[in-house]
Amino acid sequence: MPFLSKTQSFFRNLFTTRRVDADLDEEVRSHLALLTDDNLRSGMSPVAAERAARLELGGIEQVKEQVREQRIGKWLNSFLADCRFAVRQLRKAPGFAVVAVLTLALGISINATMFTLVDAFVLSRPAVPDADRVAVITSVSPVQGFQSDATTVSVPNYLAWREAGQTFSEMAAADEFRSVNLASQGPAQVVHSAAVSANFFAVLGVAPELGRTFVNGEDQPGRHHVVVLSHDLWVHRFDSDASLLNGNRTIRINRESYSVIGVMPEKFRLLGYAAKLWMPLVLTEADKTRAAHKDRNLYLFTRLKPNVTLGQASAQFDALARQAGEAFPEAEKGWGAKVRTLPEFLVYTFGFRSGGAIMMSTAGFVLLIACANVSGLLLARAARRRKELGIRIALGAGRLRMIRQLLTENLILCLLGGGLGIVFAYWGLPFMRSGMNFNDAASSIPISLDWKVLCFALCITLLCALLCGLAPALNASRADINAALKDESRSASAGRSHTRLRTFMVAGQVTLALVLLVGTGLLLRAIGMIEHQDLGFRADNLLTAAVSLDEAHYKDAAQRSVFIQDMLGRLRQIPGAESVAAVSDLPATGPPRVTIQIMGQPELPANQSLNALDVVATTDYLQTAGIPLFRGRNFTELDNPTAPRVVLVNQQFVHRILKDQEPLGHHVRVDVAGAPPEWREIVGVVGDVKSYSEDSRLEPQVFEPFLQRPVSSFSFMLRSASDPDQLASALRGVVAQADPELPLDRVMSMQSVIANQRGGDQLFGGLLGGFAVLALLLAAIGIYGLVSYSVSQRTHEIGIRLAMGAEARAVLRMVLWQGAKISAAGAAVGLLLSLPLPKLFSSMFFSLNFREVRLFVAVPVVILLVAVLATYFPARRASSVDPMTALRQD
Amino acid sequence: MPDPPTTLLQGTLDLLILKSLVAGELHGLGVSRRIEQITAGTFLVKPGSLFPALHRMEEEGWISAFWGDSENNRRAKYYRLTRAGQKQLEAETERWSRISWAITQALAAS
Repeated sequence: MPFLSKTQSFFRNLFTTRRVDADLDEEVRSHLALLTDDNLRSGMSPVAAERAARLELGGIEQVKEQVREQRIGKWLNSFLADCRFAVRQLRKAPGFAVVAVLTLALGISINATMFTLVDAFVLSRPAVPDADRVAVITSVSPVQGFQSDATTVSVPNYLAWREAGQTFSEMAAADEFRSVNLASQGPAQVVHSAAVSANFFAVLGVAPELGRTFVNGEDQPGRHHVVVLSHDLWVHRFDSDASLLNGNRTIRINRESYSVIGVMPEKFRLLGYAAKLWMPLVLTEADKTRAAHKDRNLYLFTRLKPNVTLGQASAQFDALARQAGEAFPEAEKGWGAKVRTLPEFLVYTFGFRSGGAIMMSTAGFVLLIACANVSGLLLARAARRRKELGIRIALGAGRLRMIRQLLTENLILCLLGGGLGIVFAYWGLPFMRSGMNFNDAASSIPISLDWKVLCFALCITLLCALLCGLAPALNASRADINAALKDESRSASAGRSHTRLRTFMVAGQVTLALVLLVGTGLLLRAIGMIEHQDLGFRADNLLTAAVSLDEAHYKDAAQRSVFIQDMLGRLRQIPGAESVAAVSDLPATGPPRVTIQIMGQPELPANQSLNALDVVATTDYLQTAGIPLFRGRNFTELDNPTAPRVVLVNQQFVHRILKDQEPLGHHVRVDVAGAPPEWREIVGVVGDVKSYSEDSRLEPQVFEPFLQRPVSSFSFMLRSASDPDQLASALRGVVAQADPELPLDRVMSMQSVIANQRGGDQLFGGLLGGFAVLALLLAAIGIYGLVSYSVSQRTHEIGIRLAMGAEARAVLRMVLWQGAKISAAGAAVGLLLSLPLPKLFSSMFFSLNFREVRLFVAVPVVILLVAVLATYFPARRASSVDPMTALRQD
Repeated sequence: MPDPPTTLLQGTLDLLILKSLVAGELHGLGVSRRIEQITAGTFLVKPGSLFPALHRMEEEGWISAFWGDSENNRRAKYYRLTRAGQKQLEAETERWSRISWAITQALAAS
């Protein structure tokens, strides 16, 4: 049984190495004795006999090594031996080991931490069977903008496209951006919800955890009072009460009774969409009209037929979108359709890719710098170990064997670093989680160190081992035995290849650090500029609260008008409230964009039409928000439904749309979904407010008086004399008094609203800043280490120079100058590499401003300063050596 | 003057070692001497190639080893052919005759 015999040998070689070796030793020695006996018998003298025997044998140790070399499992044996040796070596140099392991741990931990985010937001897959065959169809807006190729689809398009199923089996639709008032069991609450077609869950192929999902016909008016809850809502709001699903129990949603028919499992979560409950999507006749083409609010989901590719589906929907453009040019001209797989769609709309790519590459750069540092340390160590290596080569160790031994040492070092790095990353997780709390969608995604992160950490650890170790290992094993044994350190200077490698590494570190600092500098500056920009209104001392008036109680415009008049009157009575207003969208939170038409100008096709942001506000809005009125008049109570229609516009509107003509008296038509188009007179011009607080954009904006279009979703704004949060309970009380079933949502100060909007940026900026500082620090340490090592190598040479009469100052200047030259070369390369960064970032981050020339001067100056400083200390040490000591040193 | 010992062809050493053990068990030096004898001094196997080969063949299971006493009462490690080794020898012999016949044919061709 050759196989059995081999296996036996393998384990014998592995576990009883000592006995196997003793056996071999005895065998070779007995062989020598037998040979000697032979020679004696042939008449040689005892001395000659033994000498001849030894000559014939050719070295006991060499023979033994040759036997060991071809044993089964010898690689494992020698690897274990290498490991043991490596651990001994590291314990002999604890300072080196600690610095190297810590450096690697830092580099690996930040990469692992960043990867947890990538893992959670990019690699995670929805809990949907065969998710790659689920296609999501979105509209592509002709107006370029943030994710303009993933906009929602109108109901008429959904109805038309649903029937065109050549490439897909069935089509579902979802309106993900709804909210409802939930008033059962506990105080009234606003809950994020989605309205979905009855087949939505069937198309996705997901089953409920309890009960059932919708069946055909439940999206018809009259049968639609059914609801599916998310696991989270069921647990937290309804205490996991399974009896909720009994047919005779109902819950109150928007003041109507709904039966809970099912609960979705916890793992059913679409990245970035945080619906807490699903209701049937009920389509009315109004949704099917020509005008409804402008009202886009659905994502479409289908399952592709077998053998249909994404490209074929795309082609079909392109054609459908074109047909719609021809049939309804006033709304659809220029609009396209885009088909993505479900995972791709979720990752794309979550919008983490660019940020994630930046963070990963920054972390990668830091890791490279860390590797360069450790590599430098190893290089210095290898040079100190030249004699040891020389002896081992002389004793018969092969070059490959030596490289392997050195790589094993590095591997152990890196594994230690990687292990510690994982521990650091684990400690960093709570910090990451708290950083992701800026919105519901992000905080609902679990971040953890799962097997993918661990695999990634292991991979980069191995990569580190290779990167850190290859150069020093190759360099060291090339050592010339004779030179090494002849006490090479006595020669005046280090070999040429050695110096070149070191030069390259110093320059490389400077290059990496510079690119990294310029990159993070650009991003931080852009984020900082946004954070400190003038928003165009006063965000301090403002309390806000969102309200959504439900259809049941507030169906008529008149009812809503009465409600708001009544509420504003009551809110003004709150002590400490200086001024009170209601507005459809809070300032700088991205109001909806509508198409507009100026009276007297030709009608433009849909893809060229003018557009502006549209806000509905009450009379005191300007005063409450602190937005200046530059011309004309503000709204008054007299701008009511019976009075002529009026609007206010901002300066951007006057500048960009009216081309700076006299605005007052112009008439403008605002095309709002669901409202008849009417001409409105511009009666005033107000100051510009940023469209988004986290964005530098200024866009044309129109303001409509609330009484002339009483919208059902709006926010209250209260300006107070002091801390606005103190008014919160009074505000809640007033609203509860007026309508106990009406919930208030997001009761918070305007500053918190802005902080939440910027939450992602804050985390992003904080991390980048941290990485930049870390990179600079590591690079400084690395340069210091390499230069001081090279100086210590040159102690002899410097001693000779000093002995020959060189001045200490000249030596200092020489070492400094050589260091500076290398650093400058590295900086020049880095500068060249970072020139395209602003352009790259501009393409990744919409409407952030990356023009910052000063950075390209400041960063190189800082880096060179740090590099010179890192060179200065070793240089000063060099210039102060005592020539006699230097020359006598071994 | 004898010809300098011929360099062993790859794989030939195994065959020679197996063959040398057919007559009975031998220690390392015995194997070496036996090969020298049966090849009429053409092949001298140095310990540097002999021991690695013996150990490899033992791991393959072709030969087995045990400690015994030599003719002049020295402890020595002896090797003997196993059944697997017997089979291997037959296979190797068969292969070798084919090669040697082929090479002879090739050289005879004009």
